[in-house]
Amino acid sequence: MIVLGSNSDISQAFVEKVLKEGQRFPLVYLFTSNVDKTMKLARHIEAKYDQKCEIVEFDLTKNNNFDAIAHVESDLLFCASGFLGKNSEEGLYDLNNTIRIVEINYSKLIHLINFFAQKMEVKGKGTIIALSSVAGERGRQSNFIYGSAKAGFTAYLSGLRNYLYHKKVHVMTVIPGFMDTEMTADIQTPKPLTAQPAQAANIIYKAYKKKRNIVYVTFVWWGIMMIIRNIPEFIFKKLKM
Amino acid sequence: MRINKSKNIANWGLYPSIRTNEYEPQSIEEFKEAIASTNKLIARGNGRCYGDASLQNDVVSTRRWNKFIEFDRERGYIEVEAGVLLSDILEVSVPAGYFITVTPGTKFITVGGAIASDVHGKNHHVDGCFSEHVVYFDLMIENGEVLRCSRDMNADLFWSTIGGMGLTGVILSARFLLTKIETAYIRNEAIQAKNLDEIFQLFEESESWTYTVAWLDCLQKGEALGKSIMLRGEHATLDEVPEKIKKNPLKIKKKPKLNIPFFFPNFVLNPWSIKIFNWLYFNKQVKKHVQNFVDYDQFFYPLDMVHNWNRIYGKSGFIQYQFVIPKENGLEGMREILRTIAESGNGSFLVVLKLFGENNPKAYNSFPKPGYTLALDFKVNKGLKKLIENLDLIVEAFGGRIYRTKDAMSKPSLTDYLKNTDSSKFESLQNERINR
Repeated sequence: MIVLGSNSDISQAFVEKVLKEGQRFPLVYLFTSNVDKTMKLARHIEAKYDQKCEIVEFDLTKNNNFDAIAHVESDLLFCASGFLGKNSEEGLYDLNNTIRIVEINYSKLIHLINFFAQKMEVKGKGTIIALSSVAGERGRQSNFIYGSAKAGFTAYLSGLRNYLYHKKVHVMTVIPGFMDTEMTADIQTPKPLTAQPAQAANIIYKAYKKKRNIVYVTFVWWGIMMIIRNIPEFIFKKLKM
Repeated sequence: MRINKSKNIANWGLYPSIRTNEYEPQSIEEFKEAIASTNKLIARGNGRCYGDASLQNDVVSTRRWNKFIEFDRERGYIEVEAGVLLSDILEVSVPAGYFITVTPGTKFITVGGAIASDVHGKNHHVDGCFSEHVVYFDLMIENGEVLRCSRDMNADLFWSTIGGMGLTGVILSARFLLTKIETAYIRNEAIQAKNLDEIFQLFEESESWTYTVAWLDCLQKGEALGKSIMLRGEHATLDEVPEKIKKNPLKIKKKPKLNIPFFFPNFVLNPWSIKIFNWLYFNKQVKKHVQNFVDYDQFFYPLDMVHNWNRIYGKSGFIQYQFVIPKENGLEGMREILRTIAESGNGSFLVVLKLFGENNPKAYNSFPKPGYTLALDFKVNKGLKKLIENLDLIVEAFGGRIYRTKDAMSKPSLTDYLKNTDSSKFESLQNERINR
């Protein structure tokens, strides 16, 4: 199993869910930009599930050497890489913020996924599960740089799914709403709309087993986004969301 | 670090309920930060203690500090962070052939809590408290320093922290020894006892059994005072179990989980409903003596099958009352307590009687002492305070004391037995109440 964004709470919960269900791998590759932090997860997986791990240091914002990961391959790839960045008020005109958001959520990330997609295509099997965001469903004034990168990512996944379908590789897009994770630790989110990582992992796991295409972590978000997507633009532009 | 500001919290008894700022650190640095940014605080795990034990205006939660560190599958040593639940451990240790040596009646407590309360189980007379099997633990003290504590290293802090109710610092992780098992099943015997004399006799006779406990019907009076069912058990060996179990001896069936989805209204629990419940409980067993094999979940954690069972007591909550009285006074003291409860009409669903064995004198903050211990739950209502006052007087007269982990309103003289835990930083509302 390959995990991109290993320090995300959802990644951790999903890896645990898969192992708890009894699946084992020759190695679990934990991709991370923060090795120290990931060590704890690696040790946890080895101690709790008797599953060997390899930590792969990989920072999406740097120039990446793909030769160093040539040996990495698996039939299951889980991607929770993401970077929220600063919202529009603080970060819209901050070039570094914009570059980071676009690189981590889209431009450099898809290079990495493509790298593994090619290996799966050659083998003619595999599953790619990737987390996008409700923010990508429609650009809203509050965080549309992040939203636009996620919109691009959602479109990429949709195209990749279409392309790899004919090569017997499955691509699943996960659209979480508010999550009770470290990423949102400083944001107060409304409780009924907020999912716990373990809850999300269960839903994602079920969907993975059923080979679903697009999964909303909390069903209510499907409804909310349905409404938000369908508000006519001349009204939408006047709203403060 | 996530900080849940002015969050409503209560422990498992739902009484008392307070507003608190809850810090949820995920790294050592964040633990330090939480300690540094508060005047006083108390560590809190899964909130399965009762009363005001882990409550304070600022609490530091260990729920996100829940990783395994090492599991030595050859020798049975396990090391985990303090927020790991016993249920998390059993999930992987049982299939590997190990059981938690000392476990209380719920598996939804954290390892940190198990040490801070120095929990006991049905095998106290054989295996002692949880701490007996702890090799070391790491403790963060007031200044943010992390100290490894064992019988040799920082021994003073080791012993004062065991049963120390979190008043010495925040337990961050612990290493302890598990018990080897051949199957996930318990060879179980259930024996009816007509009254207190009979059940005390049974405890004496059962001393060679690893696990012993009795469920009591506390509304019985006169001749039937102390009517109960003794449960005793041993980890079943591979030779003993039926063929069906032999195929997969370390695996148990998944059971459907029941849930209490909302708070029961106040009228549901009354002396009549408790009488009916007790009648059903004690008559489901027709034969006087039953022998069978049950899985560890059924034997150790029958109440864990019903999620949120604490809600049957309604919004006002309930308290657990657990005391120990020395063995020599056991029968007489127990008789007086049961009589007082039966007369008050304040029934209790869950009445558990147990005979403690010798305690470890070094673990001076641990609750158990040689003698009889009874645990009861009472719905919080107008008459409760008076009843507890009366019971406290009896416990005191017979030289007994109260389990702090469950205490909510008992006389401080019965709970002020903790030593060497004074800290200006780590303080619970319970400790403030007791030492007021």
